[in-house]
Amino acid sequence: MWRRVPSQLRALTPKCNVSSSEISRPCVALYLRNFSSQFGNASTKKEVELGNLFETRLNVSVNRHASLTSPYKVYGSCLSQDTTMVPSFPRRFITTGAISQVSEDASASSLTTPRIKFKRLDKTAAHIMQILDKEAVQEVRAQSEIPDIKPGYIIQLKVEVPENKRRVSTVKGIVIARRNAGLNTTFRLRRLVAGVGVENLFHLYSPNLKEIKVLDKKKVRRAKLYYLRDKMNALKKH
Amino acid sequence: MAALSRSLISHLRIFSQCRSMSSQVERIIEGKPGIMTPNSKRTGAIAIKCGMTALWDKWGERIPISILWLDDNIVSQVKTPEKEGITALQVGCAHKKEKHLTKPEVGHFRAQGVPMKRKLKEFPVTEDALLPVGTSISVRHFVPGQYVDVAGITRGKGFQGGMKRWGFSGMPASHGASLSHRSIGSTGQRDAPGKVFKGKKMPGRMGGVQRTVKNVWVYKIDPARNLMWVKGQVPGAEGNFVFIKDSVYKKPDISTLPFPTYFAQEDEDVADLEPLMADLGDTDPFMAAD
Repeated sequence: MWRRVPSQLRALTPKCNVSSSEISRPCVALYLRNFSSQFGNASTKKEVELGNLFETRLNVSVNRHASLTSPYKVYGSCLSQDTTMVPSFPRRFITTGAISQVSEDASASSLTTPRIKFKRLDKTAAHIMQILDKEAVQEVRAQSEIPDIKPGYIIQLKVEVPENKRRVSTVKGIVIARRNAGLNTTFRLRRLVAGVGVENLFHLYSPNLKEIKVLDKKKVRRAKLYYLRDKMNALKKH
Repeated sequence: MAALSRSLISHLRIFSQCRSMSSQVERIIEGKPGIMTPNSKRTGAIAIKCGMTALWDKWGERIPISILWLDDNIVSQVKTPEKEGITALQVGCAHKKEKHLTKPEVGHFRAQGVPMKRKLKEFPVTEDALLPVGTSISVRHFVPGQYVDVAGITRGKGFQGGMKRWGFSGMPASHGASLSHRSIGSTGQRDAPGKVFKGKKMPGRMGGVQRTVKNVWVYKIDPARNLMWVKGQVPGAEGNFVFIKDSVYKKPDISTLPFPTYFAQEDEDVADLEPLMADLGDTDPFMAAD
């Protein structure tokens, strides 16, 4: 009885989205903005929120108090239909529900029937980290234009070194490795400095990287060009 | 005779005092902003450790960051000296379904009239910092730039040897050291005392205990999503609960802290607020060396 037909859910989701926009708790709004369509079709299992203290049989609307900051899908008024499906819903809730609902209405938002799904907290944590990371990357990308950097490209950088009295130095070399880690994406540059091979690690989204220019693209068949460390003559040209 | 009457009088006095105390009006706790004194202590909050990253501050310096998520903290019980004997606030965090809680726990939440929470923690406070049941504590309770103490259950490392657990240096890898490169070595003296003292550092289970990291600097807070960015490490694994409170050693400036907690105004829409960052000062730390 928990597996509802997805079409019913889809029919309900427009309503859900509307009600969700009313949510003043932005965490939910944030997640919904990103994942509303995905969630609407994905879940078929509807476990009714038993933890909700204020749910009563008489009153079909389930008030969700400040728990709206929990980042999971809020099923808006979908739940109203669900409660009728659950006859085992406790009469024991009736007494407290009536009293607490009055206080709830005062404090909670005007949302009628939100329902929150739970995942394991570490999954939620990882999800939050992912979102924050993406936001940070987008913010940096919006500010300054960062070209695509792949191994084998010959790059010229203008780096501002804060430790060295903020001198802006020009660095030219070949990218031998790139490590993707969201905001902490780094790439290694190998160059010849005064006859000595030097490898530098730069953070792609660092505010100290003032300008990146791609000069040339070499054809390579590898993601990490560590073999260049043995081939010093190849670097002479650059 | 006189002694008897004296004792009678004292008993009567106590009895009348009891009578008067029980007829006293119950303490009314209001959720109103107050003035913080140097002796007052505010509540802490419970957060979930989300993970770690690194950010660049406005001077281009890289700061290691832990992200903590204050998921829906709410005051679930107030402990007063009259009833419980201490002044404390019990704070709850994160949701829990009723079917996942035991009946005594459910009864507790229902009696107080708060939603079901996953984690409860008591924070001792002073009397002027008491909050009514049901007050939500948002991340704006803390101010960016203040120092906090963060406590949490550390990551479990299992059964570990002396070198990892206690930082012993072990024995040389060569030069004849036989079969004991990482062992703990000697455990005591000889006939006197003739035993190994209790508490001798030995291999055992490491981690999984509550530890507090002190003087953690709050870098940024996001009131819209109840997130807090702090500098450095925080005990525990991702997804675990940590308890945050004002630092004991590096006390924050009293005037900047919301006391007893931050009460959101009615017209404020939480979604619109921008993240607040700590003030890093005007002098460039790199150029200051000149």
